[in-house]
Amino acid sequence: MKIIACYSNKGGVGKTATSVNLAYELAQAGHRTLLCDLDPQGASGFYFRVKPSKKLKNETFFNDVKRFTQAIRGSDYENLDILPANMTFRDFDIFLSRMKNSRSRLKKALKLVDNDYDVILLDCPPNISSLSESVFKAADHIVIPVIPSTLTVRTFEQLLDFFKQHKLGKKKLIPFFSMVQRQKKLHTDTMDQLHSRYKKTFLETTVPFSSDVEKMGIHRAPVTTFSRNKPAAKAYHSLWNELQARL
Amino acid sequence: MSKPENMNFTLEGDIPDNSLGEKLGNLTLEYHQSENTTPFQLLDCFDQSIRQSGQALIYTDKELLLLQADGTMLSQPAVKADGFLAEQSAGTVKEALSCVSPLRRIRVVGHGTFSDTLVNAVDSEKKTHARVHLRTFRVNATDSGMTQATLQALRGYDSAFELLKHKIIELGYKEEHDITSMYTRLIPDYQPYTAKPVIDITQDELAFQVANDIIRIHIEIARLNEPGIISDEDTEFLHDYRVLLRKVRSVISLFKGIYNDEQTQTLKSAFSELMSPTGRLRDLDVYLLDRDNFFGLLPESLHDGLTIMFNLFEKERNDQVKKISKHLKSAAYNKSINSLLILFSGTADLQEGPNADRTAYLYARELIWKRYRKVCKIARAIDSTTPDTEVHELRIHCKKLRYLMEFFSPMFPAKTIKDLIKALKVLQDNLGLFNDYSVQQESLQTFITEHTSKDSKQNLSIAKSVGALIAMLYQKQLAERAKVISNFELFDSLTTQQQFQKLFNT
Repeated sequence: MKIIACYSNKGGVGKTATSVNLAYELAQAGHRTLLCDLDPQGASGFYFRVKPSKKLKNETFFNDVKRFTQAIRGSDYENLDILPANMTFRDFDIFLSRMKNSRSRLKKALKLVDNDYDVILLDCPPNISSLSESVFKAADHIVIPVIPSTLTVRTFEQLLDFFKQHKLGKKKLIPFFSMVQRQKKLHTDTMDQLHSRYKKTFLETTVPFSSDVEKMGIHRAPVTTFSRNKPAAKAYHSLWNELQARL
Repeated sequence: MSKPENMNFTLEGDIPDNSLGEKLGNLTLEYHQSENTTPFQLLDCFDQSIRQSGQALIYTDKELLLLQADGTMLSQPAVKADGFLAEQSAGTVKEALSCVSPLRRIRVVGHGTFSDTLVNAVDSEKKTHARVHLRTFRVNATDSGMTQATLQALRGYDSAFELLKHKIIELGYKEEHDITSMYTRLIPDYQPYTAKPVIDITQDELAFQVANDIIRIHIEIARLNEPGIISDEDTEFLHDYRVLLRKVRSVISLFKGIYNDEQTQTLKSAFSELMSPTGRLRDLDVYLLDRDNFFGLLPESLHDGLTIMFNLFEKERNDQVKKISKHLKSAAYNKSINSLLILFSGTADLQEGPNADRTAYLYARELIWKRYRKVCKIARAIDSTTPDTEVHELRIHCKKLRYLMEFFSPMFPAKTIKDLIKALKVLQDNLGLFNDYSVQQESLQTFITEHTSKDSKQNLSIAKSVGALIAMLYQKQLAERAKVISNFELFDSLTTQQQFQKLFNT
């Protein structure tokens, strides 16, 4: 079983859209996938029409193995289940740190579903301050949506610094350009610069800024299910294909 | 807690629209009905490998649909219904059909129309809590059809699943553990086929009766392959036909004293006559199926002669197919095989031998034990200096031992006999390859002699390539020969010895 985190230390970069569409692509490719909505805003769950879990709010979540597995809900799509949002930022930190701690009950809880899933995808909240080294150690791969604009690039570089300072392996970081507007010179210039500065780091696929992605909120479904032939859907499909080669 | 599993149900007849109602507790039932009934073709190989794997394959509207044991329906685009699996493009259905032999053609075995309805039980957010897929299959317009319901489990929504299950059962659906029942339901004269029949034998049955039953059933199954050989659908029809008749022949020669000497001789020659016209076609099939491997044995510079040889084989094969089709359709052949069938069905005209009245159990034990001892005796004497003829001898006895154990297997503990046959199989495969390489060297040598009498560029090319091929086959034969001693040692374990002793030593 692989753990993939979809993470950005900046909000509004298309992280949840990435998690939802990537999870859908994974499932469609035949991988049994569990999407954990760790963002307390519960947007991933909302897109799959899964109501937030009322029972799982605090520490009991980690201590009650049965409750953990009982909180999982089947989505409307084959091979794709959802763990709806239920935690605070603080819990998220604990969640990931315990994931790699063999003595933790959470580890045991995940073991219980280990045989049920090939991939666990984590939709993480946008925050760096509460994240420790162990947070980044937890995931096998960290997918990072980056808008090619000054502010987002800055936060991406902060993340790289953080990795450097804490001597974390940068290999698991998989950034890609998100919400790209090709008509903006700033966007294309920034992408060119970053591609040459961080060779072979960014994925080739770019996800465009798209009203179809915004419409996910109306349809409450992955973009491919209602706009299969539109650029955004194609981009997520290609993102998955490229990512697959890196995993 | 593991993931919940889907459940399958069937109902004889059609389902009325919206038969499940509009509500399921607090949930609303949404119906998504296919607009038309769609024609479909039900597919399987002649050996029914798809049905036997617990799946059902359907072709409809340029799509292959595979209904799996748990009710999951896989689909992939397909340009045609029948043909070899290799001809279909890559896809989930192709991937799931590992049960299908690459040598077997997938054929249309039945057809009809089907309609499907998906029913979702959704909450106020339009989230599905439970789902059932209803598929109605009909043979023709007057057929009331059968409806298959697959209740799909969604994790975490157990109560909705239970409610929907209850509703389905109330409507008269019966739980179905074998979705392949649609083959028998939709094909009126459906007969299960197996090339390896297990014939019911009781321990106190007379050996004479057992022999007659085995022979009759094997002839009947062999005959089922005749249309496939004539239409040349795939090479497995002839292969099965020959294996079945070879087994008949071996019953006659192995079951000593069941028929008197004169009867045994007559039967032996009758079955040899039936088989002999098919030998060359099978040899050619083996060469042609293995074509890529033969090319792989030689460097590209020597491929020209092989290409010529295989072109000649293909041409010869076409002639052989015509010849055998004619033979199988001929009055003489049909008269001959029918009279043999009648002979083994009635038995009044068969002349019994001294062992005819022995009980099957004691007779079988004696035959198997003697053959086993013979195998061990020859094998234990084999070393690196033993002539090849002895190794050939060992192969023949191993084959006979295997046939005997297979014929009589219903009288012995299934697991033990299966393990013993499995242990023998490794040695047998080894000896089989040893023999194949040896036979092929001889036949290729004959091929060279026949095709290179005149000096020509083509003949020189044949001589070079086929000569090199013979040298390669000789090396492969030596390699197989070298494995015989160690493979026998594997077979000759203490456990195997004890099991043979316990089961068969009289």
